[in-house]
Amino acid sequence: MTETLAQIMIHPLSLSRWQQMLLLLPLCLTISVVYKTTKCADLREVPLAALVSWVTIVVGMYAVGAALLLLSEWAM
Amino acid sequence: MAATEPELRVPIAGLLGWLLPGAGHLFIGDRARGIIFITAIAVTFWGGVAIGGVKGTVDPGKRKLWFLGQICAGSHALAALAWSNHIPGPPQDDPSSLIAYNRAEEISVVYTAICGMLNILVIFDVLVRAEKGPAVTAQRGPPGKARGAST
Repeated sequence: MTETLAQIMIHPLSLSRWQQMLLLLPLCLTISVVYKTTKCADLREVPLAALVSWVTIVVGMYAVGAALLLLSEWAM
Repeated sequence: MAATEPELRVPIAGLLGWLLPGAGHLFIGDRARGIIFITAIAVTFWGGVAIGGVKGTVDPGKRKLWFLGQICAGSHALAALAWSNHIPGPPQDDPSSLIAYNRAEEISVVYTAICGMLNILVIFDVLVRAEKGPAVTAQRGPPGKARGAST
């Protein structure tokens, strides 16, 4: 078990473009959860608040990415 | 532990919060919040390390500014740095077995540095809660909103 975990941490992954884009999701989830945990007085509010925040960040980031892609395609 | 002198409570909570993200909250008695921070930051940091490999992710010689962000995650970054230094350099015949020469390395560095940045937020949060004391901590609402406000 420990050996397997160590091997996972030592050797880097080879990621496709789609996998790279999908890795935005867990990072945004962590940011949302940590941020909302500091903000919410009652921890029962955290899941819903974090979900709303997560969706907002993800949609916003992909929209910015898509806009930049279109701009770069247009500029080329 | 929550009964520590107030003068010591704040710096100890801050130091523990840096050393292990979330431990400051456990120290002041805010267990649920502490467990959320410990879990979220540890999983994300080591998930990031798993993406790019520990050797290429935590490298203060190659990426000083990113390392400044990573070191804010405390013991996670120190453990990753010690582990990275312990691993010998990549073999000449297959360097990509230890170092990612693609986006994976960048993603892993961003993951781990953002964990450090998030821990700064967590440290500030625990400093405020430690200063206000356990009774106020439990009732503290979001900053900027007065308690009892109707809107």
